[in-house]
Amino acid sequence: MYDTLLFLHLLAAFLLAVTLVTYTAVALGAPAGGRTLFVADRCWDVGGLGTLVLGIWLALYLEEYDFFDGWILGAIGLWVIATGLGDAVRRRLADGETAAVSTMHWLRTLAVLGLLVLMIWKPGA
Amino acid sequence: MTLLGAIRPDDWNLPLFLHVLGAMTLVGSLVLVVVSLASARGGDSAAALRLGYRSLLLGVIPGWIVMRAGAQWIASKEGYDDAEEPPAWIDIGFITSEPTLLLLIAATICAGIAARRSREGGRGFGGLNTAALVLVAITLVVYVVAIWAMSTKPT
Repeated sequence: MYDTLLFLHLLAAFLLAVTLVTYTAVALGAPAGGRTLFVADRCWDVGGLGTLVLGIWLALYLEEYDFFDGWILGAIGLWVIATGLGDAVRRRLADGETAAVSTMHWLRTLAVLGLLVLMIWKPGA
Repeated sequence: MTLLGAIRPDDWNLPLFLHVLGAMTLVGSLVLVVVSLASARGGDSAAALRLGYRSLLLGVIPGWIVMRAGAQWIASKEGYDDAEEPPAWIDIGFITSEPTLLLLIAATICAGIAARRSREGGRGFGGLNTAALVLVAITLVVYVVAIWAMSTKPT
């Protein structure tokens, strides 16, 4: 059970990487088409939901972690920030607004990097 | 195994972080390459081919190097780099990483030549694009197996 949850949790995290890499290409000036952005956005939808649900499931399943551990709450906070920034980027691009889109993308990337740091170091665990 | 997975020495964290960061960059870039090269077969071939090629060159190959260096670093920390009989998941990691570099280099060359021919308005880039797409798709499937092995650690 633990192995399956961890595998799916990791797979979901890799889907988030697809979104970040694609939007990084866009932020650097690559001419990503509608299909490419569509795939990137769906990867965030599935990966975001998967990391959150499976991550909380793992935290509840493992006796050595508690849902209210600081690093788990911090990770949920960063997830909310990253998802909010991603939604804003998506909306702005759909409306044809490009102002601040790159900045929001880099902030989302930093938030996901922070998530990865918390998942590896687990401060306070 | 669960407890061992949850608790590890602090000095393993940095190599593990680099390994996972490289792997995420690698797989994320690979999916972008697949989507770009598949798009190039259908519509805007020049721009999509260029995006696929640059993703291979600037995302996939550097991601592979960071992933592999991190893997070697953490394997040495765990004492697996010179073990006579390493666990199966370590073997799977080596088996899936090193041969795929050759596939990735071949895909990068194919995509690069295809992108150049497409930009120059020439013909004959469709076959190279397909070859790169197939190589990258095979690699992606292999990496899903690697992610499974790294997370479930079969013995």
